[in-house]
Amino acid sequence: MAAIGSAVGLGNVWRFPYVCFENGGGAFLIPYLVALFTAGIPLMILEFSIGHWARGAPPEALKKINKKWEWVGWFSVILPFTVALYYIVIMSWCFSYMVYALDLRWGLSANSFFTNFLGDTGNPAIFGNISFPVLIGLIALWLTVFIILYKGVKRIGKVVALTVPIPTILLIILTIRGLTLPGAVEGISYYLTPNFTSLLDANVWLAAYAQIFFSIGVAQGIIITYASFLKKKSDISNNAFIISLADAGTSFLAGFTVFSVVGYLAAQKGISIHALGEQIAGPNLTFVTYPTAISLLPFAAAFFGVIFFIALLTFGIDSAFSMIEPISESIHNKWRITKTKVVGLICLFGFFLSLLFTMGNGLHLLDIFDHFIANFGLVIVGLLECILFGWFFSLKKLRNHANKTSDIKIGIWWDILIKYVIPFVLGIILIITIFENITKPYMNHPWYILIIFGLVPIILLYIFSKIFSKLKAKKEVE
Amino acid sequence: MLAPSAIIMLVFGIVVIYGGLAYFIYRAIKTKK
Repeated sequence: MAAIGSAVGLGNVWRFPYVCFENGGGAFLIPYLVALFTAGIPLMILEFSIGHWARGAPPEALKKINKKWEWVGWFSVILPFTVALYYIVIMSWCFSYMVYALDLRWGLSANSFFTNFLGDTGNPAIFGNISFPVLIGLIALWLTVFIILYKGVKRIGKVVALTVPIPTILLIILTIRGLTLPGAVEGISYYLTPNFTSLLDANVWLAAYAQIFFSIGVAQGIIITYASFLKKKSDISNNAFIISLADAGTSFLAGFTVFSVVGYLAAQKGISIHALGEQIAGPNLTFVTYPTAISLLPFAAAFFGVIFFIALLTFGIDSAFSMIEPISESIHNKWRITKTKVVGLICLFGFFLSLLFTMGNGLHLLDIFDHFIANFGLVIVGLLECILFGWFFSLKKLRNHANKTSDIKIGIWWDILIKYVIPFVLGIILIITIFENITKPYMNHPWYILIIFGLVPIILLYIFSKIFSKLKAKKEVE
Repeated sequence: MLAPSAIIMLVFGIVVIYGGLAYFIYRAIKTKK
């Protein structure tokens, strides 16, 4: 349940529908499902097997292959912590908007309202002031993460029993409401009408693999950490199938939630859905397009506005604490510091670092940070995991370990996917991303901004991972 | 109305994703028993 919660997050709502729409509509489901079964589920099985076999967080697991690879484990647990730094800021925006939804405070000018709310300077180089509402939300959310995590895995189990079903139910309510609105069918039509010629485009296939890879929560040390808590007899492969399909199911459902309302908005404004373009994705969708559509609802607009942001908050919270749990568990295991102290220190440290994204340039910094962390950090971890476990360890050993407790037995096909297919696809994604970033600076930002807020964090991640792996463990000192 | 091709993709998505999910949940419950 916790792994489902970590996999399903904001990206399912604000990324998948747009990626699907941009890459062939309904036809995108074909590469998406192929990517799910050839990369997502095999990687999920790999991480489940590693955690269950090693009975420890990623640094311990990697250390079991070879001590010199421990840093890869640290890299994979510090990475989600850095994601949490801005992820929680976005949740803080949702938190404020949940309150604003009570009186639909953004009115019909959601765009300028969002800009004022952030105190947006419009330039990543100009910091501006801290947004007070964002700061309040940030304190509340870091405190929530601390309260959930400091008592360990048992409390996580209780929390996810609520935070996994609640947003799904709310999403279903929003979808039903959306589907009853005028223009909804046109919206759904844009979402689902297939353009089969797009299947001949290699970029569409790469987009499908990237979407799967970024969505299901692999390569972040989360699955390995959660798997280490599983009972020895827990079913590995079945869990991997259920989590991956639950993630895909939420994304597919979110497409209806988003496009029904987008269709309604386009009908009300008398414009084509295509004209909305990138307004259907990311923060634009959540804080501008969707709220505008909510304002135009004929009745109970505030109610639907509130439940939309509650859904996002509950979708996000389990992803957020899942990003903190791997690093706290790793530090707790290595240096035998109590979980309360570790979680407290990490949350406090995280809160201060998050303040960077509450400034007037927060939206832009966050975008740059996310671009580099997701496109480089996650892909590098995924690639290293496949190479290290596929080529420097016995995959057969892991496969046998998984098969011992699993109802669905995995065969040699899994070895082939982990050793050849997934590294090949991830390698291509990485090469293309590097090429694109060199030939054209991301969003035409100045190079020094991209280096400071994009490249430097990745390099720091590597340095800290090396330092953490070199430091002596408490056991060794004794 | 949705185009027939959109309806086909809708059914395809529902069957594979939710059908698959239901199937694996069913197997998990069966194994637990």
